[in-house]
This record gives sequence, structure tokens and C-alpha cells, in this order.
Amino acid sequence: MNLSRRRFLMGTAAVGAIPLLASCVGSGADAGPSAGAATTLTLQSSIQDAGPKAAMESVVAAFTGPKTTLNSVATEQFRAQLSTYLSSSTPPDVLAWYAGSVANTYAQQGLLLDVSDLWAPGGACAKFSPALKALSTAADGKSIFVPTSYYWWSVFYKKSAFTQWGIQPPTTWDGFIALCDQLKARGIHPLTNGIGSTAWMTSGWFDYLNLRINGATYHRELLAGKHSFEDKQVTDVLDQYKRLIPYFHPNQTSWDAQQAVQPMVNNEAAMYLVGAFCTQYFPKDQQGDLDFFSVPPINPAVPSAEEAPTDGFFAAAGSKNPEGARQLLSYLASPAAQQSFIQKSGSSNMPTSPEVDTSTFSPLVQKGIKLLNETKEITQFFNRDSSDALQTTADAALTKFIADPSDIGAAQRNWQAAAKQVFTS
Amino acid sequence: MTAGTVARARTTPPDDPAPERRRGVLARVPVLVWVFLAVPLAVELFWVFWPAFNSFSLSFTSWKGVGAAQPVGLANYERLVADPVFHTALVNNVIWVVGFGGLSVIGGLGLAVALNRPGRAVGFYRSAIYLPMVVSLAVTGLFWRVMYQPDGPIDAGLHGLGLGEWSRQWLADPDTALYAVLIAAVWRQVGYIMVLYLAGLKGCDPTLEEAAAVDGANAWQRFWRVVMPQLRGVNTVIFAVTVIDSLRTFDIVWAMTRGGPYNTTQLLSTYMFQQGFTLVNLGYGSAIAVVIFLLAIAFIITYLVRQSRSEDVS
Amino acid sequence: MSVINRPRSGWFHVIMVPFTLLWLAPILFAAMIAVRSFDDIAARGLGALPTSFSLEGFATAFGGGRVAAALVNSAVVTVATVVVTLALAAVAAFALARFRIPFRRTILLFMLAGNLLPPQILLIPVSRITQALGIYDTLLALVVVQVGFGLGFYTFVLHGFMRSLPTEVFEAAVLDGAGPARTFWSVVLPLCRPALAALAALATTWIFNDLIWAMTVLRTESKFPITAALLNLQGGFSSSWNVIAAGSLVAAVPTAIVFFLFQKQFVSGLLVGSNK
Repeated sequence: MNLSRRRFLMGTAAVGAIPLLASCVGSGADAGPSAGAATTLTLQSSIQDAGPKAAMESVVAAFTGPKTTLNSVATEQFRAQLSTYLSSSTPPDVLAWYAGSVANTYAQQGLLLDVSDLWAPGGACAKFSPALKALSTAADGKSIFVPTSYYWWSVFYKKSAFTQWGIQPPTTWDGFIALCDQLKARGIHPLTNGIGSTAWMTSGWFDYLNLRINGATYHRELLAGKHSFEDKQVTDVLDQYKRLIPYFHPNQTSWDAQQAVQPMVNNEAAMYLVGAFCTQYFPKDQQGDLDFFSVPPINPAVPSAEEAPTDGFFAAAGSKNPEGARQLLSYLASPAAQQSFIQKSGSSNMPTSPEVDTSTFSPLVQKGIKLLNETKEITQFFNRDSSDALQTTADAALTKFIADPSDIGAAQRNWQAAAKQVFTS
Repeated sequence: MTAGTVARARTTPPDDPAPERRRGVLARVPVLVWVFLAVPLAVELFWVFWPAFNSFSLSFTSWKGVGAAQPVGLANYERLVADPVFHTALVNNVIWVVGFGGLSVIGGLGLAVALNRPGRAVGFYRSAIYLPMVVSLAVTGLFWRVMYQPDGPIDAGLHGLGLGEWSRQWLADPDTALYAVLIAAVWRQVGYIMVLYLAGLKGCDPTLEEAAAVDGANAWQRFWRVVMPQLRGVNTVIFAVTVIDSLRTFDIVWAMTRGGPYNTTQLLSTYMFQQGFTLVNLGYGSAIAVVIFLLAIAFIITYLVRQSRSEDVS
Repeated sequence: MSVINRPRSGWFHVIMVPFTLLWLAPILFAAMIAVRSFDDIAARGLGALPTSFSLEGFATAFGGGRVAAALVNSAVVTVATVVVTLALAAVAAFALARFRIPFRRTILLFMLAGNLLPPQILLIPVSRITQALGIYDTLLALVVVQVGFGLGFYTFVLHGFMRSLPTEVFEAAVLDGAGPARTFWSVVLPLCRPALAALAALATTWIFNDLIWAMTVLRTESKFPITAALLNLQGGFSSSWNVIAAGSLVAAVPTAIVFFLFQKQFVSGLLVGSNK
């Protein structure tokens, strides 16, 4: 059979034209099959820790609504693919994440389902506190988030270790420093931390020092880009941070947040500023021994503040089963589901629903609830209040600062340069 | 498959038919054969070249993954030039090419020469050294992360040898992190290079070496003057493979350090992934990818030119 | 094999045995850690010799970590990709090697260049293209992407092999009246068996160990291949080293088995096409 050259070239052109027609990446158009309303649900979760993940699975299994598939994906993967998830033509219906900048950005782009009806009287979230409602509402006034649990950050220690050393939790900042000196002189590492693969742990101390020295309002504004990282206020924070550096366990740079509890288990380190999730890292027989105290006040003129990151769910606007998604969200926000999740996960999370009976929770959690009830301001955490991009700049700036705190001015300048990139891009 | 074997019979159709025969050359190729070629070619065009082209056009935009991409001209490239992390990544890539490439080649060559002898034990050694190649890069990274942990096997070994003060936070110390990852990567690559050199050595003519020995050359001279020139073909392949692999390295650095501590182990590939997927700056990530591509293309062209020249010869 | 290498077997082995053991050390250490219990590691660190023997690392990896399902996914993707890629590469190599297609050398080098591109330049567009085609988050997408990406190299290698086949074989087939399809099927493929075996062995390792494509096109946990599932084992806040070590070892076993079974083909596979 013969084939002329012309027909060959036309054939090649036809073959080559198919991809040109099939997709134009970056055009914003999404060519996908649009089905009718689906009858199943997909819940995309980034919860990876063993206990909470198993708890999530059992809570979802007990759901009596449409059949739900739970996908647990590595947090890092989840974040990277989140925009792909939400903008695809068949997005996961419900996604586990936290409130804050990420949710607000996607809400602005119209990618999140409006769940204001869950916050209206009679809805699943109706009885939640006004602070939670404010957190879950986007700039346009629509509620897009359903919080289901939160936890607090504090300085955790082992009661038996303190008794053994004959010390008491400090109530002033100078007292705290004096305690650290005392412990160091006795050969005990006063503080531990894990800033290796979990570099964001450096922001824990930064946030608290900023809250104690400059107040929550300044902290929020700094993270929103309204102040410069070269401000004198930030210098004050870094000055205090510098004082703490010699007290940290030297292996902190290689550890992650979990490995940081290792020296505490052996009574080689004393205190750890961390979220309440740390309780699950300790061996079972030591978990009851844990207690905490709040970071002592530094500047008396500043109102009290604590960090209480809130986790929850939002739904994709493009969901094929919005009714089912709302059902699932209501279920997850219900007191029964919250209670079940918290009890099964073994972590020290607190429920957002006031109808959950907290008297069965451990004394530690009840103390945590009391702490948050009595504090005037609540912030989330660095990345949740700002953005993941700014968190990356904080990770780099703070780990470098901890390695070499000699030039605070340079550290601030570099941080501001990186932050400026984030805010202007 | 023995290297260097040249088929005695005429193995290829004549490459340069007389001009009057050319008019009908297409007629001699059946349609089915065109299909045989067109289908794979189309697949590759669609899945490789079309996305590459898209990356180019994306690099001139700013895109967060949703909505339409905003064209920004050369802004991404201007930002690259001023970006200190990009400079670090570029420098690290050069160190990587030289270190990873150099060490794995030297190690591979040395081991190939040492193990180029018969014997079951030698076969075991060769398998053992090649075995890491079979394990994925991500898994290799995890193995070595375990090794480098404080109070991990390496520190324990150093303490045992009385070299305790050498122990440090290998992966967290910006001075050592890149080299720590480099060692893990070389550990894996050496087996592969060794095998390539073993094949090359098999194609070397032993009589030449014997003649040189008879002439009074010592082992070192025999190696450099007689054996190495015969390895020229293998050296080209290894050079190309090493350089291209160095530019593509991603899995092992990502698994071990994610580009940290504070960006000191960033390579171009990990920085691109961080920008494109972790921070979802798709335009900027594509610009970095284009830079990787341009660097690779320089070496690819050299390699392909040499390949086609050696095809001319055979 | 050079006669001048007189094996001084004593010293040689004295050096090589510890060297080889040192070489295998990371794998051996991972094995040690995989069989320790979580509390043992939490209390005494990673470097301590195991005082406990526990298979809880493996249990967790197979249970919550879904390592078994991930292995199945990896196997499915690997087998499908290897078969399709080699089939396409074989026909393309046949067309380019034995027929006078214009610009065949350029086309061959063009295809090879496709495989030499750094995958990073393809990640973002490929994830969007798979979405647009509606195959995002399917194993099919993973197969198709890897087929496209690897095609050039295998075509190049098989092309070199087919060129070295003697022409008499083809002339005989033509005389028998066989068309290209029959020639390919009954003459070329059997002769190419060693090269195909070698490439299949190599390809299995490369595709099984792929991480970056899996991370780009998949999102459902139950579809993850083993490499991506291992990343999942590293928790957002924490990592259980014994689980990770156990999972890593399990992930290394299939390719190790393929390697030992096809050792000869592996080595020859690396060489086919590299020496003209």
C-alpha cells in the first residue's frame, strides 16, 4: 500500500492537534465529565497520627448517611494538592483542615461550600461560641468552616520529675529564667524541642514571646503583613528568644516534635512548649504524670493570650453531593461524634461543642479548658494565622537564628525580605 | 550481550541509497509500519513534549492553581536572578554534580577493577554492592535518616571508635547536611557505575595488557595507558548518565531533608517542587523547571551528538 | 579477563568482607530497628542495640499503613507499564530499525531526548492534563504517564539491538511472503528476547521505585503505590521509626527478589545499547 508524503504530514498534524485541543493548561477551563448528583461522599483527611487516624476511621464508619470513603493523605501531600482537589471537577466532598488563611483564600475564590445554614439557629453549630463562629466565617460573611476540635499550647512537664527535683512551676518570666538556670546547673536540659523535620515548632516560642511582649493584636497584624519584621517589637522578641537558646537540648535540630519527648521520658529534660497533642508521644504509664503551666507573663500591660489551634472540616463548592456533604458536616460537628473522636484518639483535644460532657475527660484536658476560658485572646498558630508561605519564611529565619543568634539585625532583615516576597506575590 | 562485538554480516540496509531511488522510499514502507511508529511517537509527544511546552508557557505566568493564569512576562525569571535560595540551589547542584558524579565514578571504577575476577565470593561482593541500587531512592533516604539520627548507628559507631567529638547533628547542621545526603546517594549509585565499568572491562583486550607488562610497564601505567583508552565508549555513557541523573536528583534529598535546614540542601529539583507543589506558586515553579531543562539540554545535546557520531562509525 | 590479575585471595577477602558488610550496614540497621518496639525506641533512642523483639512495626505498617494494598498497587502499575512500554517500544524500534523511514535517526534521538528530560518540567502540566482528561487520581494515569516518559529510552535500546540482527533473517521472511506484522511477531520478537528480558528487569525496578509521578497524579490513599504509602507513614506531627523501617524493608523486598532472580539480565540490560 502506498502513502504519499502529503497524506503522511496531514496525518501527523492531525495526531499532533489532538493534544492541542484536549487541554490548555492554565486557561482556567476545566473539561471534565459533569455527572448528576452523586450518592456517595469522599472525605479527604490529612490526619496522620496513628490514634486520631484510627479514631477518624471509626467515627466515619458509624455515619448513617451516604456511604463515605475516607482518604488519609500525608499532610504535606494534602497541602500541595489542596488547590488541585478543590478546583477539579469531582472534588472530594468534605476535607479535613484547619481554619485560617488557607480556608479564607479558597473561600475568596468561591471554592468552598457555604455552610451558613449549619450556623443558623437549629443547625449543628448553632451553640458554638461566637469566637468559633468568627473563625469560621470568611470575609464576605458566609460561614465556610465547621470546627470540631481544638487544643491548647502550653509548657508541659512531668509532675514526678518536678517533685524529684524539688521545684515548682514558675509564675513570672524572671522566675522561669531562674528555674532554667537552676536546672542547667544541675545537668538537666531545661527545655526540649523538635525542630528538625518539624521546623514549624520554632514558631511556638516565637508566637508566645510575641503574645507576651507585644500582645495578640500586634501579633495578628504582623502575620497579616501590616508590620515589618524589622520592627523594634520583633527585636524585643528575638532578644528574649536568644536568652532561651542555651537552655534547649542540643539534639533539637535533628529531632521532630515527637522525638523531642525522649529526654523528658528519661528525666533528662524538664519542659516542652508544645500543643496538647504531645501526650500521645509519651509511654502510656507516663501520660497521667503530665501537667502544664502557661508561659508566664512578660509585659504586664498586655492582655493574656493563648494559642489554641482549631481543627475542623470544610466542603468543596464543586461537590457533587452538597446535601450529603452538609449531612456529613453536621454529623461530624455533633456532640456524639466529637466525643467519640476525642475519646478514641487518645489525644488531648477538646470539643468545640458545648454540649459534650467534659467531666469524663482527663484532668489535664479539663485544666486546659479552664485555661482557655479564662484567657482574653486566642490565636491559632503562626501558619494558621498567616499562610503556609509565611510559615516557610519563619522556619528558615528561626532555625537559622537558633543556630547563630549573634546578629539579630541581619536575621530580621533577611526575614523581612523573604516575607515581603510572600506578601507581594 | 558482550560489548564490542561487531556483527560480521551486513546488518543494516544501506544508509545512502542512490538519489533516483529516494522518490519511492515512502512507498516502500507499509502503512502498518507507519502506525508502529506513529502510536508510540504520539504517546511520547502528548505526555512528554506537550507538558514540557506547557511548562515553558506557564513560566511566564503567575498561577495559584485556581482560575486562569496571569501572564507576567519575565517577572518570574527576574525574581529567580534575585532569589538567594535559587543561588544556593544552583551552587548545591554544581557541588552535587561534581561530588556525586565524581565520587560514584571513581568508586565505581575502583570497585570494578578490584572485582573484575572470577569466583563465587566475588560474585557475592558484586551483588552486595549493587543491591542498594535496587532499593528506591526514597527508601534509601529513610535508611540513611535513621543512620544519621543523633545517638543513631553512626554516632554510636564514632563513640565506639573513640571519635566521639566528631559526632554532630549530621542532617541539621548546614555545613554537613548536603554532604551527608551526598554520601547516601553515592552509596547507592556506586553499584550501578561499577556494573557499567565491569562490562567495559570485559571488552578490553587482555593481550594488550600482557604486551605492556612484557614491555616493563607497572600496574598503574598499564591501567592508564592501556586499559583506560579502551574504556572511552563506556566513559561517555557514564558521563552523560551521571550528569543527567545529578540534575534530576529529587527523591533522596526530599526524603532526607526536604531541602532544609533552612534551604541549605536545596537542589534545583527540590526547590522547584517546593515552590510548585508545597507553596503552589506554579508559575515560579515552572520557571525553575525551565532552568533545569536548559541545563540538562546542554548535556543532552552533547550526548546525542556523540551517540549519532558513533552510529555513523558503526 | 586479564591474566595479570593474580588473585592474592587471602588479603583480598580480608578487605572485601568487612567492606561489603559496611556497605550493607544501612539495610542491616533498618532491619534491626524494624523489629524493636515503639517504647524501646522512645526510651533508648535509635542507636541502641535492640533489647526487645517485636513485630509491631510490621503489624502497624500492614494495618494502618496499608502496606499490603500499596504493594498490590505497585505491582499492578509496574506490570501494566512494563508490558505496554516494551510493546510500544518494540514496534517503534522495529519501524525505525528495519524500514527506511525518513529522518529515522532524528526521530530516534528525539524520542530518546524525551526520556532525558528532567521530570520536574513535566509535573505541573501533567497533573493538570490528567485532570482535564478526567483520569486524574487513577492508576491508569500513573501507567500512561510512565509509559510516555520511559518510551524513548527503551526504543533506543531495542533499536540498537534490532539493527544488529542479521539481514538474512529478514530476507528469508520476506521471501516467505510475511508482512511486517508477521515478521515482527514471529521473527523479531523471539530474537529480541534477551534484550526484552533485560529491559523488563530494569524497568520493573525503575517503575516500582518511582515516587514523583505517584505523588503528582494520585490522591486517594487506597490507590497509592508503596513509595507514596511509605511517605504517609511519616506522620504530620510524629513518626514511628520502627514502622517506617518495617515499611521500608517490605518495600525493598520485591525489587530485591526481581534483582536476584534476573541478575544476569539486569547486568546485560544496563549494557544493551551502551556499547556499539
